[in-house]
Amino acid sequence: MKGAVTRLVLLMVLLAIISRAQLLRADSGTSVTLAAGALLLCGLFAGKVAKGFGLPRLTGYLLVGVAVGPYALGFIPGEGVKGLDLVKGLAVSLIALVAGTELRLGLIRRVGARVALLCAAVCAVTFAVCFGATLALKPVLPFLAPLTMPQALAVSALMSTVVVSFSPTVTIAIVQETSARGSFTEFLMALVIIGDLLVMVAFALAAGMTRASFGGGFDIAGLLSGVGWELFGSVVVGGVLAVAMLVYMRGVKRELPLFLVGLSFAAAEGGTRLHLSPLLVSLAAGALIVNLDEREGERIHHAIQRAGLPVFALFFAAAGAGLKLDALVTVGPAALLLVVLRGVAIWFACRRFAPANDPRLKEYLWMGLISQAGVTFGLAALVSRTFPTFGPQVEVLIVAMITAHELVGPVLTRRALTASGEVRTDEAPGTA
Amino acid sequence: MQALLVFLAIAALSLLASSPALDPSRFPSLARLAASGFLFLLFGVVLGPSVVGALSVDDVDHLRPVMALGLGTAGVILGLNLEPRLLRLLPRPVYAAALAHAGTAFLFVALPLAAPLLLTSHPSLHAAVGAASLLGAAASLSSGHFAVLAYRAGRMDRARGLGVSLLTMLDDAVGLAVLAVALVLGAAPSAAEGLGLVCLAVLLGILCGALLAFLTHAMNDPAELATVTLGMVALVGGAAAYLRVSALLAGVACGATLALVGGRTVERVARALGRVERPVFLVLVFLVGCGVYTRDWAAWALVPGFVGLRFLGKVLGGRIAQRLAAGVLELPPRVGYALIAQGGLALCLVAEYQFLVPGGLARRVLDVVVVGAVVNELLAGQAFRQVLTPVKPRLAPAAVDDVEVAT
Repeated sequence: MKGAVTRLVLLMVLLAIISRAQLLRADSGTSVTLAAGALLLCGLFAGKVAKGFGLPRLTGYLLVGVAVGPYALGFIPGEGVKGLDLVKGLAVSLIALVAGTELRLGLIRRVGARVALLCAAVCAVTFAVCFGATLALKPVLPFLAPLTMPQALAVSALMSTVVVSFSPTVTIAIVQETSARGSFTEFLMALVIIGDLLVMVAFALAAGMTRASFGGGFDIAGLLSGVGWELFGSVVVGGVLAVAMLVYMRGVKRELPLFLVGLSFAAAEGGTRLHLSPLLVSLAAGALIVNLDEREGERIHHAIQRAGLPVFALFFAAAGAGLKLDALVTVGPAALLLVVLRGVAIWFACRRFAPANDPRLKEYLWMGLISQAGVTFGLAALVSRTFPTFGPQVEVLIVAMITAHELVGPVLTRRALTASGEVRTDEAPGTA
Repeated sequence: MQALLVFLAIAALSLLASSPALDPSRFPSLARLAASGFLFLLFGVVLGPSVVGALSVDDVDHLRPVMALGLGTAGVILGLNLEPRLLRLLPRPVYAAALAHAGTAFLFVALPLAAPLLLTSHPSLHAAVGAASLLGAAASLSSGHFAVLAYRAGRMDRARGLGVSLLTMLDDAVGLAVLAVALVLGAAPSAAEGLGLVCLAVLLGILCGALLAFLTHAMNDPAELATVTLGMVALVGGAAAYLRVSALLAGVACGATLALVGGRTVERVARALGRVERPVFLVLVFLVGCGVYTRDWAAWALVPGFVGLRFLGKVLGGRIAQRLAAGVLELPPRVGYALIAQGGLALCLVAEYQFLVPGGLARRVLDVVVVGAVVNELLAGQAFRQVLTPVKPRLAPAAVDDVEVAT
């Protein structure tokens, strides 16, 4: 612990020297590689420090990212952090691939219906609460105040859809870190994954309604084909990837971690360009592989565990560095209110609708659903791009909420897993 | 999208390079280019902005962080090879021999080509001198991979193979020193400022190397060790790119410092880096290829001079080296012919020079060296036959395509 703190401090001193030395040059060069190296190293040692304090490593990654990022100490320029978007896409793909390998048919048969029902209930309650609160805040929210009532309804619905989303990345990273195994963990992972699929469909519908309310017309065919392409296209592309992986694993049998990183990178980049969901592409690939050949699914799981440490440390530290702390100041009170209401809604829905046969679900499941990360960021950015009149302000509000959720979510997720009694060890080597 | 294109290109080439289509017995030259990584260089030239244009100038510009990472990695690996204890053990004639063959090639290329560089591009005198020096530095470098291959295949005895490899390792220092001088002259408006930037790069590398030694000290988890190593390599290359100083020199300083103070961790760090060496090198040479501007006719005109003069310089330098190292280092007859292959460091030098020294002259130097390196690689196979003397094979012959990339 003491050694990790010393190493982290030395790294930050080196970063401070580099950022001071930059003043000697009138024009600085590219900062992306600097950001990658600095966040990777600081993230790794901050994770160790966080572990020493009994917190998830992931919280350490996030906090050190915030500290050295452009909005706090400013050792890493904003352009450097922005340039790491590729790494974020890669991490989401890798995490989804691992998540997919957990989706065995047996598990889906066993808990699929119960998870889907609970997921629908949690999403519906959370959506209703956030929707009502947003609408009630209309007079004080600058982007809602000037809108007509139908427009305000549509925008509130759109925003609430995004706010509902969960974070499979955080959940899976914490599950890997703690090596948690058991029915509670399976239930939680299945719920966050299905929840995000549900949110994606709902988001497409809400975006279509919002466009219509602003005079863009309600194009049902376009809407359905867009949603269909994103969902089914992703599954088909994921299937193709799964076949490619199986062929490679059976034929080449070497450098699997490197191959998986490359393929996940291609899935993330290509998926985004083709308007597919990279998360769903990798998820489908992982699920197909594990159901076609369980042994190869296990190999993927272990290979990603080996390659996962640098990717996860970099991903979450970069996410921390990208958190706009200044947004917390401007829309802080509204964001905080929505954070609290969302938490209460999730807690209530879990208490009320979780299956009664496992009391742990009623008691602790809500804690695992608080986190928000990649998918929520992506949807918020999509709102900003699609609706330039009010979108950027909605994005600021959502990012402020994500900031709060990122800081408390991982801690709560780990607490949920610990309380459920399914945490096996805290020393899984090479994990997040 | 550019990143995806690069990934797909590298993946396709990796498959091609390992496919039976490149059977050394059927396509020896192509197999040699694939094994040395220069096939990726050609692929970069073809896909780059000046031929097919799959990657635009902006795309290549956006990939500068990857280039910085590659140069930093190459630098750290070079620095780690500067094993102080081994270097102290080498007798003085070995250094003299290395300097002789590298220096002769340097002078043969740099002096005659300074004049056409000055005449064709009308730069200032010191810019032309810097560019000619870089051409000379690139010419002075050699790759020992043919000697290694010949030894593995039982066609050259071990002592001679080691001798050639040692000479080629030591000439790296000449190239790096000339790069430093060229950057002092060309990377800033005044030589004093240029010297300050080179010193800043070295200081940055020393700090990072010392910190890497401390961070990896007593670290036992291989995943953590690999993560810290990769992170520090990215940090040293990235910080150099951010401060607009040489990532290659910073990397060398980092690696050398680690080799000096790292103790037991040096070997483990080198092993961790070894796992990413080839992919990083292949991406690096691909990007260097993308930077070539094929429509510079003056560059094409300089290529025959570069290749021819370098050849003469190496042959003559080899003779001098042989005389100087007689009785101390066993070298094959006509050793100059074993030094024709140029290796990847030459590409790193000119890529770094183009990064840091503004103007068309740096790009012309890059064009000449890239084309020259490919030609030299193709010539090297024929030239190396002049060196070989039949020896009794002591090992089972290895396939030609077993060779790793020569950096």
